[in-house]
Amino acid sequence: MRPLNAEPMLPGFVRHLFPTVAGLPLGPLLTLSLRALAGRRPGLFERLGEYRSACFVIDPVDLAFAFRVVPDGQRSSVRVVSKDEAAQSDVLIKGPLLTLLGLLDGTLDGDAMFFSRIISISGRTEAVLALRNTIEDAELRPADLLGLRGSLARCVDTGVLGALGVARRLAENNPSEARKA
Amino acid sequence: MSEIALTLGPVFFHWPPDRLLDFYRRIADEAPIERVHLGEVVCGKRMPFSDPAWPAIIERLERGGKQVVLSTLAAPATVRERRSVEDLCADDRLVEINDVSGLPSRSGKPFVTGPFLNVYNEASAKFLIQLGAQTICPPVELSFAAIGVMSLKCPEAEFEIFAFGRLPLALSGRCYHARIHGLHKDSCQFTCEKDPDGLSVDTLDDQQFLAVNGVQTLSNQVQAFCPAPAALAAKGVRRLRLSPQTCDMVEVARIYRRLADGKEEPKDARFALSCLDLPGILVDGYAHARPGWQVTATA
Amino acid sequence: MTMTRMELVCPAGTPATLRAAVQAGADAVYCGFRDETNARNFPGLNFSRDELAEGVRFAHDHGSKVLVAINTFARVDDVDTWKKAADSAAESGADAIIAADFAVLDHVARNHKQIRLHLSVQAAAATPEAIGFYAAQFGIRRVVLPRVLSLQEITALNRAIDVETEAFVFGGLCVMIEGRCYLSSYATGKSPNLNGVCSPPEMVSYDEEPSGTTARLSGFTIDRYERGQPVGYPTLCKGKFKADGKTSHLFEDPVSLNAGGMISGLKAAGVTALKIEGRQRGKGYVSEVVRAFRKAVDAVEKGGDAIDVDRLLAGQSEGARQTAGAYEKKWR
Repeated sequence: MRPLNAEPMLPGFVRHLFPTVAGLPLGPLLTLSLRALAGRRPGLFERLGEYRSACFVIDPVDLAFAFRVVPDGQRSSVRVVSKDEAAQSDVLIKGPLLTLLGLLDGTLDGDAMFFSRIISISGRTEAVLALRNTIEDAELRPADLLGLRGSLARCVDTGVLGALGVARRLAENNPSEARKA
Repeated sequence: MSEIALTLGPVFFHWPPDRLLDFYRRIADEAPIERVHLGEVVCGKRMPFSDPAWPAIIERLERGGKQVVLSTLAAPATVRERRSVEDLCADDRLVEINDVSGLPSRSGKPFVTGPFLNVYNEASAKFLIQLGAQTICPPVELSFAAIGVMSLKCPEAEFEIFAFGRLPLALSGRCYHARIHGLHKDSCQFTCEKDPDGLSVDTLDDQQFLAVNGVQTLSNQVQAFCPAPAALAAKGVRRLRLSPQTCDMVEVARIYRRLADGKEEPKDARFALSCLDLPGILVDGYAHARPGWQVTATA
Repeated sequence: MTMTRMELVCPAGTPATLRAAVQAGADAVYCGFRDETNARNFPGLNFSRDELAEGVRFAHDHGSKVLVAINTFARVDDVDTWKKAADSAAESGADAIIAADFAVLDHVARNHKQIRLHLSVQAAAATPEAIGFYAAQFGIRRVVLPRVLSLQEITALNRAIDVETEAFVFGGLCVMIEGRCYLSSYATGKSPNLNGVCSPPEMVSYDEEPSGTTARLSGFTIDRYERGQPVGYPTLCKGKFKADGKTSHLFEDPVSLNAGGMISGLKAAGVTALKIEGRQRGKGYVSEVVRAFRKAVDAVEKGGDAIDVDRLLAGQSEGARQTAGAYEKKWR
């Protein structure tokens, strides 16, 4: 049996596919896709209300870096930051990457992940709540973030979600290996 | 300057009949209070104990020149409790309505709305006034400013503010005295009688916070709203309600009388109150649109 | 005589949840505007005017109803905000308005006779006299029952009134009589009646301390958890307190209501509609709960055995314990 809180972590080999130092073009890429999303679905960001200008740091515990996100519509920004910089934020959300991605696409329930301490949150609770409710309603698919449409979007969604599913199963089947790695 | 009247609210706690008789005898003889509310408001199960005492208390208070108002239950449920509300509503004296259940039988005759009835705005107040509301004591969480706006917009009724006593914060279907003593509400053994000011509820870090009184939850702290009479007059608020605790309520009444007559400064009134044997520290946050436990007055 | 089929009334905090609830089998969905006019006024939650109109279209296309909660108490000098919310709800084509304040009820009764009025649980109407008063004054068609009544009391009540009753069957449980609880404003300055929030998130803190994780609300310690153990949200009435020398969950254990086993009892008691709490919950949760209750209600309506709702909801009850609440008299 899995011990309590042994949420699937990324297997070692998957983690090596990610860049391990801060400053790679991941930040500008995500900034662009977030702004493009704001262009396509402006209503989505309205739901955040005053928390659009809040600074959210998302810290996947199984990666060497974190994301600093200001979800302010067309003025959104995403920066890849080091773990040290992660402390300066309105909100700090920490958890395994696969869990965080599961929250983003709605596969996992944020409340359950928080109360069972699989993810941890510090800072302004009301901003987290606004973000969580906004993501809930957004029904985001991977293609939305990449700004894709039509059959290509469906292809990417199937591919990415399928791959995430595989990764989660891999991780679940071997949580101890993933933790060590 | 218009007169500020004082009201003694109903006793929330389970005081035995002898204590009630003694208490109201002193009020009748010594307290500078114009209006006195009588009756069980919190728990219908206590009524068989206090009911026999009321006729003598009413007689004594009226002989002492007090206006008696009959208070009704805040959450009537059983057939007996509902009938008691209906019976009281038939009385020729003024009646305090604490639940909508009392409105059908009282509509068309004058009544007071107590702090358990949700009157939050001028439109709701006007609705009740047209049914017969003469005095409105809004819920305790409403600020003095908000009550003032209502009062100025509804000059046809008199507005009263909950000025003194532990604040009535909640009612439940469940009895907490019984729960603490491992008993069921239906066979509660009236353990609430042991706590004539309510039983203190502290946090895990020993912060004083709340108090329980059977099915009722009150603040641990004691409301002490001490406005200058000019401030009350400016808002058209003409009554202050003092809610009975075991401390010397005659002295509380005297302090508020001096305050209302402009013979004592608010800070002196607060100091005088703080010298009494109170179950908690003095607070006034609600009146100033702040969390109820906060202290905004400087004294 | 065959009684009418019980209606399953489900929560929707966002348009996506509304669609999820409808698709999971809700007969009706209830929701509110993104402001203080409804009792679940949390950041990022609820509907704009356009979203409501769109939600109503979607629900009606799928044979479901939409009930709009305008169930806080209008602020002094700002009653128009509440009246306008009611006007917008009526214009959206919604099927009912759920209200508690005399001012809102009166406005709807006078100006929007075509829309049904439901009396919110925030009005705490629990006697034939109170319900009869609201029916006579405002023509309410249904009352949402306070969560403190037992099955026997509901049965007796339904015999004495001629409006429909709606009873909570699942979700967060208020121990205090709704609409008459000021605990939240006492600690935080914000309350369900005034602001549509209880124990508001901006006043919550989780502090890591040597003795464990401490959940505080506005500085008041509400509960403490050992390191690594699941935590709870510091809702005031579910906290751990000291009284009479004892430390306990004085008001209520951190449990949630599950009256899944009481559906046939509630039907026999004459209840018209079953309500699931949780407009603040995500669509995954809402879908699963609605689907489980859909099966259970259908089974009861067919006269069969009550489906084991607990088993269907095993995933949702993980961690938090459940209770049938006041429906069982021993709760008191």
